Amino acid sequence: MMSSILLIGGIGCVAALILGISSVTFAVKMDPREKAVLDQLPGANCGACGMAGCAAFAHELTVNDQAEMTCPAVNEEALAVISEVLGRSLGGGTSVVACVCCKGSPAETVDRYNYIGPKDCRSAQIIAGGAKGCGFGCLGLGTCVDVCPFSAMYMGEDGLPHVIIERCTGCGKCVEVCPRGIIKLIDKTGNYSVGCISKDTAKVMKQLCKVGCIKCGLCVDICPFEAITVSKDNAALIDQNRCRSCGLCVGVCPTGVITPMRKPEKVSIIAERCKGCAICEQICPVNAISGEIKKPFVVDDSRCIGCGMCIEKCPTDAIERIRS
Amino acid sequence: MRNVYRKVPDRCHRKDSLMKTFKGGIHPNDKKELVEDNPIAALPLSDHYYVLTQQHIGAPAKPIVKPGDEVKKAQAITEPLGFVSAASHSPTSGRVKEIIQRVHPVTGLLAPCIVIESDGKDEYMPGLPLERDPFSLQKDELIGIIKSSGIVGMGGATFPTHVKLSPPKDKKIDTFIVNGAECEPYLASDYRLMLEEPQRIIDGARIVMRILGVDKAIIGIEDNKPDAIKKMKEIAPPEVQVEVLKVKYPQGAEKQLINALTGRDVPSGGLPMDVGAVVQNTGTCAAIWDACANGIPLIERITSITGRGIKHPKNLRLRVGTPVKDVFEFCGGVVDAAKIIFGGPMMGIAQFTDEIPIMKGTSGILLLTEDDTNLSTYSACISCGRCVEACPMGLIPSDLSKQGEKGMWEKAVGTNLLDCVECGSCTFVCPANRPIVHFVKFLKSLQRAASAKAKGA
Repeated sequence: MMSSILLIGGIGCVAALILGISSVTFAVKMDPREKAVLDQLPGANCGACGMAGCAAFAHELTVNDQAEMTCPAVNEEALAVISEVLGRSLGGGTSVVACVCCKGSPAETVDRYNYIGPKDCRSAQIIAGGAKGCGFGCLGLGTCVDVCPFSAMYMGEDGLPHVIIERCTGCGKCVEVCPRGIIKLIDKTGNYSVGCISKDTAKVMKQLCKVGCIKCGLCVDICPFEAITVSKDNAALIDQNRCRSCGLCVGVCPTGVITPMRKPEKVSIIAERCKGCAICEQICPVNAISGEIKKPFVVDDSRCIGCGMCIEKCPTDAIERIRS
Repeated sequence: MRNVYRKVPDRCHRKDSLMKTFKGGIHPNDKKELVEDNPIAALPLSDHYYVLTQQHIGAPAKPIVKPGDEVKKAQAITEPLGFVSAASHSPTSGRVKEIIQRVHPVTGLLAPCIVIESDGKDEYMPGLPLERDPFSLQKDELIGIIKSSGIVGMGGATFPTHVKLSPPKDKKIDTFIVNGAECEPYLASDYRLMLEEPQRIIDGARIVMRILGVDKAIIGIEDNKPDAIKKMKEIAPPEVQVEVLKVKYPQGAEKQLINALTGRDVPSGGLPMDVGAVVQNTGTCAAIWDACANGIPLIERITSITGRGIKHPKNLRLRVGTPVKDVFEFCGGVVDAAKIIFGGPMMGIAQFTDEIPIMKGTSGILLLTEDDTNLSTYSACISCGRCVEACPMGLIPSDLSKQGEKGMWEKAVGTNLLDCVECGSCTFVCPANRPIVHFVKFLKSLQRAASAKAKGA
């Protein structure tokens, strides 16, 4: 009994000694900055930076002074920390998010045939170009959801994939796998998107899908900022640089294909700074601002569309954006 | 060997061991009795013909007519763009109505299609059909005629024939094989051709032998067509040998046929010419004879319209471009068909519309009822190995199917993905009902996309 305890204990002590010595002698020296950088990277190993994974990219950033920030998924805070750790300023960072440009759920569209094969859109696409009648419509088998390394997509009850904007890092994995090119990367600050990329004419469109862009051009006409373009064979497209998120297009679209990507922004007036000049009242396209001259003005939340025109014109910087 | 799917038709009376065959393969019920005894019939002239510009493997062909042009029967209406390409010809006389986009039966996508409005006269080009002795022509002249006649492999693969008949100088061809196996279940178009017009096949084969400079040809016919074997043996000249093949699918696949008849193995990634062989389908041989002796290009072919989904299954002589609707009407109409397939049940392509025309490679149209189809879903691979046993190419289909599920094409290429001939034997025997051929096609599509991207980058 005693001898076995001593024997096992002895073997344990010898092994511990060997391990202890070798851990000191054979220790791999790692740049502490590398660990710090790695901590800030998303850790999804998506490969979008062009390296084998986040660790490889962190190593590259640390050892190579010329290495650029090619990670599309890193956020601004992390970027600031990495820049500080490495002692050089790094550009880049995420400015885009994925957007599914199709609203054609199975209930709204027609199928050409009954597909019973593997649940993979790319696989469905090789059979006569996919079952969905509209050649620009979502096949709804969720390959984009499967490949998303950040769990930023889910299949909704409507049979279409949806993007959780807060989680999306704009890595573009979903864009790569979508066989129909429905997913687009759009500006992160954008508030509205067009849920259709069809090049079909209105006549063809009407037979295939109830919620597709019919190229009527109403949105183009109403947009105060000339941010929307549409042509006979191209669905409406919002130029996110020009869009001021006023949301007027949403109201006029007859098929409801333009939708907000998130809760719309509003503005509010900081009373202490407002001098009551009434410029904002005059510029507001929806008459949401009112008040008496030389007294703080107020914004009517129910009317404000968050276009931000007043912010630019305010001489005292008294107007700020808020999330409703 | 235990094989639960084994159903050899009663007509097969010989002992298996006496007949030539290859390793692997399956024994589906051939169901040829539905249509094999119906003589070849002709379809009345249709009002419109829809000639797709791409009816072959390779570079596309360009239309050389414009809407409003008058055309005569057998007049060329497209010209090939490149060496591996083929022309098309007007199936009748009339007027070019328009050039539209039509669903292509093979890809399922829209493709350019020339619509010809028939004038009812059905007049040939002036001077046709001519009569000449093809054996007085030189090799190059014959290949030129075959090229300008738009002849492609009529077994279904539609590879331009003149390319196959112009092997590089360093490849010595010593064997010419005529493929009369027709191993696809249901189809009987080659069988009827061998029975009713064997002379065209033999004479076409003799022209090919002249072009290739070989002095021996072998016609391989499966044992379930004793009448055709008898007929071909009766009229075959001494230099053309008729060989009986075991009834087994895919006996008519090029590489398997070469292996069965000559014992040679086409190497991985290689072509039949690498082992000194050239294979042509019986229908192709007949078309070669028509082109070389009578100057008539490939404008019609024999097609089996069969399956329990059509009222009167028939073997028809159809012009290329005939609307499928007219064909169904002539056969008494469709009766509760659940699936329409261009080609046979093993390798044919399911169609989602009947707004499609007959093509040069349409050896059959199969209409299956719901009882004949299997629409249930598949489950996980149980690793039973039946597909490995059945694969005529010696691949491991179970591995390929699992890689297909994950989209791992690079790994699949490493396990000889590109050697798969997509014969469907694995899918046929799979007890888990896995669509293995679909997975293979999917992996191949990923591989093609990746290599196209690599080329572009």
